[in-house]
Amino acid sequence: MVSKKKSLSNAGFFITFMGPSLIAFTCVLMIPFLYGVFLTFTNYNPIKGTKDFVGLENFLAIFTDKEFLTQFLKTLRYVFYSTIFCNILAFILAYILTSNIKARNFLRSGFFTPNLIGGIILGYIWKFIFANVVTKVGHTLEIESLKTSLLTHPDRAILAMIIVTVWQYAGYLMMIYIAGFVGINKEVLEAADIDGAKGFKKLFYVTIPSMVPSFIICFFITISRGFMAYDLNLALTNGAPYGSTRLASMHIYQKAFQANQYALGQAEAIVLFIVVAIVAVTQVLLTKRYEVEA
Amino acid sequence: MKRVFMSLALVLVIVSLLFTGCGKSSETPGGTGTNAGPSSSPSTGSDSKGEVIKLTYFNTSAEVNEMFEKMFARYNEINPNVVIELIPTGIGEGQQEKLQSLFASGNGPTFMNVDPANVIEYQDRLVEFTKDNAPWLFEYANESAVEAGTFDGKVMGAPWSVQGYGLLYNKRIVNQVYGGQFDPTTINTRDALKAFFEKIEAAGIPATMLHGANWSLGGHYLTLTYAVQGPATSDGTGFIDKIKAGTQKIEDSPIFQGYMDTLDLLVKYNYNKADPLVADFNQDILAFAQGKVATFFMGDWSWTSMVGLENIDTEYGFIPVPWSNNPSDYGNTEVVMVLPKFQCIDKSQNNEAQVKAALDALGWMLTDPEGQQFFLDQGFCMPYKNVRTDIEYNSMTQSIADYASRGKTINLGCFSYITGDAWTQTGNLMLMYISGAIDRQQLAQGINDYWKSVK
Repeated sequence: MVSKKKSLSNAGFFITFMGPSLIAFTCVLMIPFLYGVFLTFTNYNPIKGTKDFVGLENFLAIFTDKEFLTQFLKTLRYVFYSTIFCNILAFILAYILTSNIKARNFLRSGFFTPNLIGGIILGYIWKFIFANVVTKVGHTLEIESLKTSLLTHPDRAILAMIIVTVWQYAGYLMMIYIAGFVGINKEVLEAADIDGAKGFKKLFYVTIPSMVPSFIICFFITISRGFMAYDLNLALTNGAPYGSTRLASMHIYQKAFQANQYALGQAEAIVLFIVVAIVAVTQVLLTKRYEVEA
Repeated sequence: MKRVFMSLALVLVIVSLLFTGCGKSSETPGGTGTNAGPSSSPSTGSDSKGEVIKLTYFNTSAEVNEMFEKMFARYNEINPNVVIELIPTGIGEGQQEKLQSLFASGNGPTFMNVDPANVIEYQDRLVEFTKDNAPWLFEYANESAVEAGTFDGKVMGAPWSVQGYGLLYNKRIVNQVYGGQFDPTTINTRDALKAFFEKIEAAGIPATMLHGANWSLGGHYLTLTYAVQGPATSDGTGFIDKIKAGTQKIEDSPIFQGYMDTLDLLVKYNYNKADPLVADFNQDILAFAQGKVATFFMGDWSWTSMVGLENIDTEYGFIPVPWSNNPSDYGNTEVVMVLPKFQCIDKSQNNEAQVKAALDALGWMLTDPEGQQFFLDQGFCMPYKNVRTDIEYNSMTQSIADYASRGKTINLGCFSYITGDAWTQTGNLMLMYISGAIDRQQLAQGINDYWKSVK
């Protein structure tokens, strides 16, 4: 009797608190997603109004879309480098800003601010900086590689994107790492000090293992955000030079809306989703093994 | 218990706050375009206040977004029951995608200012202009302009401006170098153009500038190759069809080779040579307006971007872009004159009242002197018979009109039939060519492959 009442009231709580979010999630994410999966098996085109069943034709067409593969590999490169540099920088910043230095709070807010600027505005600001400010510096200091905008060569344009991504997210990840640092069990740190562990040894054997949950979160964020990057891509390069920095999301968008191949674009989007899901879940499962109980 | 009650009450308050955003939008005329429901319902309808009809207008002529806003505000003053919301776009930025996503989400704009390629693409959705529903069009518009807006025998686009492009030149600088009044008709062969550039460079002034954007090189420059195949639109489209079928390779056309040779010349003297792909439109326009460079491959719409700047030169003209050394070849002494944009009305996602209101609004915009004045103030040349004749156009448009009066224009009709991502993809190839990433053979191969892959 009592347990039945309790489970009912539990259910009631669940619906009241989770209900609105669940409804929103289903309507905005789940239903369009499932509809999208259905559309990949058709030759959907809203302009012509077609929606005939064509089976696996779209998925086979992905293999002939060479550009998708090259852009996807480029996205992988971009995600790899931006994840590494973002996290290293964020970790170092967090380490410095959890020690007792002056203006600590000010610096923390300062480093976090880039994250508050939306991707589009950020892209335009940096586009201007790369095209004008950096080139001016290159001319005055006679540095050959900086004389032309970083954004006009295919390889350096990816570098530019990595730089801006690191700049944008380092602060955000730094906050998570700071929370991780602050949450380390003080007793374990003291015990390490008493045992004579200093500096790097303490860092590697005590601090980092305790911070593994933060690492899991931060890596997950950077990887998934990296794969989905679109607003920065659009504002900073818009695929320039000549379509070479069209990362995966932008390539899909271009396929669907510019080349009018909606169903193919949707199929590529599903493939992207599967890859990101696999990578993210694998990353979480692998790193979870390193979690330690203090 | 009390705590539970309090937290539940709080949740209720928060949830009800969520729904305030769904209330009726009263004072703002905008926002209706983005709040519409699924595709079956029209994008607005009348709200409960009366018969206020809300229309949405999609504009791709990004340089005059402000003009349209002022125009619609004025129209609303005259007709308080019609509110028109502008959906603006940026120059060269995702305009096609925005339009497609508007239609795909059921928010198709009531009427729009788009490229002729869009008119062809969306023709099933558009209202056909007839003498019954749009008498003003047939009464006042020039016949050739109406014909340009006719696709498959149906008039679906209302013309509003005549534009042109070619090699813009700064009159002050060039006259200075030539020590007198320069005559643009002397440039009728590539050698003449080369001598012209060399003379300007010898005077210490950068000779020309290319705007490194895919629409400029792919949409405008490369299209010359198709358009100059012959004076009729079908010459251009026929040429493209042959490439699509694989029976013609673009590099076998002497016109293509000729234009690419001229392009090499332009690249050689390009003001942006150090970094040709930056493609900052405002920057290039400013440099040209300040007289930093003598010529610019661009069109007369540049004037609308320059008119607000201070301390700039105001006298410009056009030189043709020659492709061969035979002065009598078609294209060597002509500039492009084109009706680049059309106004059309959507009937697939807007109800009858909206279509009617849009027709009336369009009639006012295009044939009422007050409506026309907005366009004329921006320097647009309107192909309508009742346009006031005392208007003095800016020097660029005047130059185009001058070429037109001598019959020296290139018919760019085939441009309307280049749809989808044609000029982005071929434009990207052109950009690779001017920055030296690929050679001419690879460029031609890429263009051939692209057209063959288009369904």
